[in-house]
Amino acid sequence: MRFIFLFFLLIFKNLDAFEYKNLKTNSGIEFWFVEDKSIPIVSVSFSFRGGSSIDIKDKNGISNLMTSLLDEGTRNLTSKQFKNEMKMNGMKLSFSTQKDRIDGVFQIISAQAKDGFDLFYEALNHPSFNEVDINRVKRQVISSIKIDESDLSTLASNKFNQHFFKDHVFSNNIKGSEESIKNITRTDLVNFHKKSFVKNNLVIGVAGNINVNKIKKYIELVFGELKDNQQNYSIKQFKALSVGQKIFEMKTPQSSVLFGHPGLERNNENFFALRIANYILGGGGFQSRLYKNIREKKGLVYSIYSYLLSYENDGVIVGGFQTRNKSVFKTIENVKNEWEKLNKRGITKSELDNAKAYFNGSFTRNFTSTLSIARLLQVVQYYELGADYFIKREKIINSLNLEKVNGIISEYFSNEKLFFMIVGEPEKK
Amino acid sequence: MKIVGILFILLLCFESKSNINFNAKSTTLENGLRLIVVENPRAPVVAQMMWYNFGSNIEQRGKSGLAHFMEHLMFKGTKKFPNSYYSDYLSKIGGSENAFTSYDYTAYYQIFPSQHLEKIIELEADRMNNLTLTKKNVEIEKKVILEERFQRIESDPSAQLDESMRTVLFPNDYYGRPIIGWKHEIENLSYDDVIDFYKENYNPNNAILILSGDIKFKNAKKLVNKYYKSIKSSQKIKLNKLNNPDLKTSTNVELSNENVKQQIWKRIYRTKSYNDSMTQSIALDLGMKILAGGTSSLLYEEFVNKKKIFSMVGGFFQGLTKGNGYIYFYAIPNKKVEQSEISDLLDKFIVQAIDEGISEEKLILEKKKYYFDSIYGMDGILKPAEIIGEALTIGLSLDDIENWNDKLDKINLEMVKKELKEFSKNRNFVTGNLKN
Repeated sequence: MRFIFLFFLLIFKNLDAFEYKNLKTNSGIEFWFVEDKSIPIVSVSFSFRGGSSIDIKDKNGISNLMTSLLDEGTRNLTSKQFKNEMKMNGMKLSFSTQKDRIDGVFQIISAQAKDGFDLFYEALNHPSFNEVDINRVKRQVISSIKIDESDLSTLASNKFNQHFFKDHVFSNNIKGSEESIKNITRTDLVNFHKKSFVKNNLVIGVAGNINVNKIKKYIELVFGELKDNQQNYSIKQFKALSVGQKIFEMKTPQSSVLFGHPGLERNNENFFALRIANYILGGGGFQSRLYKNIREKKGLVYSIYSYLLSYENDGVIVGGFQTRNKSVFKTIENVKNEWEKLNKRGITKSELDNAKAYFNGSFTRNFTSTLSIARLLQVVQYYELGADYFIKREKIINSLNLEKVNGIISEYFSNEKLFFMIVGEPEKK
Repeated sequence: MKIVGILFILLLCFESKSNINFNAKSTTLENGLRLIVVENPRAPVVAQMMWYNFGSNIEQRGKSGLAHFMEHLMFKGTKKFPNSYYSDYLSKIGGSENAFTSYDYTAYYQIFPSQHLEKIIELEADRMNNLTLTKKNVEIEKKVILEERFQRIESDPSAQLDESMRTVLFPNDYYGRPIIGWKHEIENLSYDDVIDFYKENYNPNNAILILSGDIKFKNAKKLVNKYYKSIKSSQKIKLNKLNNPDLKTSTNVELSNENVKQQIWKRIYRTKSYNDSMTQSIALDLGMKILAGGTSSLLYEEFVNKKKIFSMVGGFFQGLTKGNGYIYFYAIPNKKVEQSEISDLLDKFIVQAIDEGISEEKLILEKKKYYFDSIYGMDGILKPAEIIGEALTIGLSLDDIENWNDKLDKINLEMVKKELKEFSKNRNFVTGNLKN
């Protein structure tokens, strides 16, 4: 077999030229698609709403365990045979359970598309869930939970979720615990698989070298048999996020600190204003205020950041750093000062202009690979940002003025609503 | 759905004769700067990577961490573009950037909209020669680097074990010293150390500039010439290549830490590299993939599926190195097992697996995967620059990279078995155990 490179390069010279097709299969499954002939690869990015938020009581981690079993064999193929077939066709298939959804990525070399999509269909619709495989993957998940417990930053992140989200399902560990994993049976997995993979909670983005008719046929094949269950797995609002601070003692020379604060849902009209504020505060890599003032000027940390975690109905602002035990409270004071300064004085005109320029300029980076294009198409659908988002986005950004952004900022970034989770042996002031 | 029984026949029909390559274009300026361009106009974005062909390997004894320290300081500005001008500029145009230091190389990269190409080329050229550093810059950045060492190593028992294993395996060369540096040596690095290191090593003779994405070779050449030609070349790095003695003792390193909740067994072997032989290294790599790569390897089948002693077990060959390469193994036991017991189990099995388990069918499958992965490697703009940059800085040629798959085609079962047999007799290894 010989691959011939066809250099009909798909060229996105600017956003106006970025065109995707909104396609529908015979049974009515909608998906967004960009035909990109520059490379003989097809990439499919998809999401099912739900994820670990719909885990079963006392069986936390079931979503993650279920998705970890999807490349472990089908009704016709053993785990080993399935993995060989994947290699043989240059196929990649991965699932990852998130707090609010299951993300999936499927990639195939164009020439192997038929066999690849057949395997994808079998994996998604007819996983074998053999007892032997279930027990093996359970052991793997349990070791991975133990490794997470030994790792300062992962442990801190889990402790943060547990205490910050309190009674909300987001406080649960995606992987579950040794006990909850042991509680899960094959029947649970079979039922959970049915419950998770339903058409009405699915979004799909596709990019790559394949024609419209073929991709419609393949998407129908893979997702067409799924049922609708009419249930909407959208997450509940965060009614009671923690404030203040919590310490988990662990013998280690540095402490890992994570902090959180209420934020906004992704499709809120003020989302972009908050996103710009966060970019200036702690999101902009080497330019953010947290980076410049706490790392560059004071040398207190190696890495410090904040980011927005935005879901369908609500969101939070989360940040973190690691520092030597002796400087934990000093660094927390610095974060609080930056937080307060932002809240009271807002951002400057030049900070706003730079941030807007960043968000306008960085968008084309999404177009550099079939996978990043497919992901973009999937994300825009997931958050219901609109069919015209690619045209609208620049207008949304450009319409933000200083008054508007500073108005939003004064409503957010309140010191009283901050929560700090400290894992380590912080030295008291 | 294909019937599995005929898998083998289908595999035999497969020929991977391929013409997949980057079509990279190359030129060298008079001052020694090498320019490589990979044209890919699919999106209006360019990735620029500046690769310096040295890393911690050129540090003098007692100055560990200097190359990595220098990498951090390269973001501190020049006379013409002071302080964080470069980073601020990149951010304003929607770009992203970072840098990394290894044993054998140091690299800086930016991804940005292609209309700003000229300015970014100018900024990168400028910091090769005109960095302005204050003593204060150096002192504060040293604190940052110590925090980095504490984050990466001192707070991570598994990383401490790796660091310790490498000192044993490479007692006489730079691969035994941590890239980030020993804490006590970082603390003693001075302003003068940094300035000397910069002046001596940062020059066009030691640099490879790679531009990948929406850019034409002709234009790239013109711009690169414009901004780099005035930079004088000084000495080319002369690496004092040190070899390590054969290990005469068996060495088991153990780290016990109360925070460790899961035992991990590790082993590192000192091996050949792609610099020693491309063909042999590709054969070794394929063999290691059959033996220990991923969840369909021989080791996984035996110890995870059949014997259920480990929840995971695996290994890989890393030979993209100027000096020795290495092979890394790890095993995660389901229940506590003595370090020596794990070593015995694996040692015995590996010898047997090389004799009985390496089949033509498995080899063809791995070759096929290797070949498909090379196609995936071309989907994007940074990846090609990374692959080319790493290979060139460790001493391979552009032809070596472009013809990689031709060499892959020629590997047969005998060659793979020969490499694995040689490996199974290798006594230059160290075993580690991480436990509670």
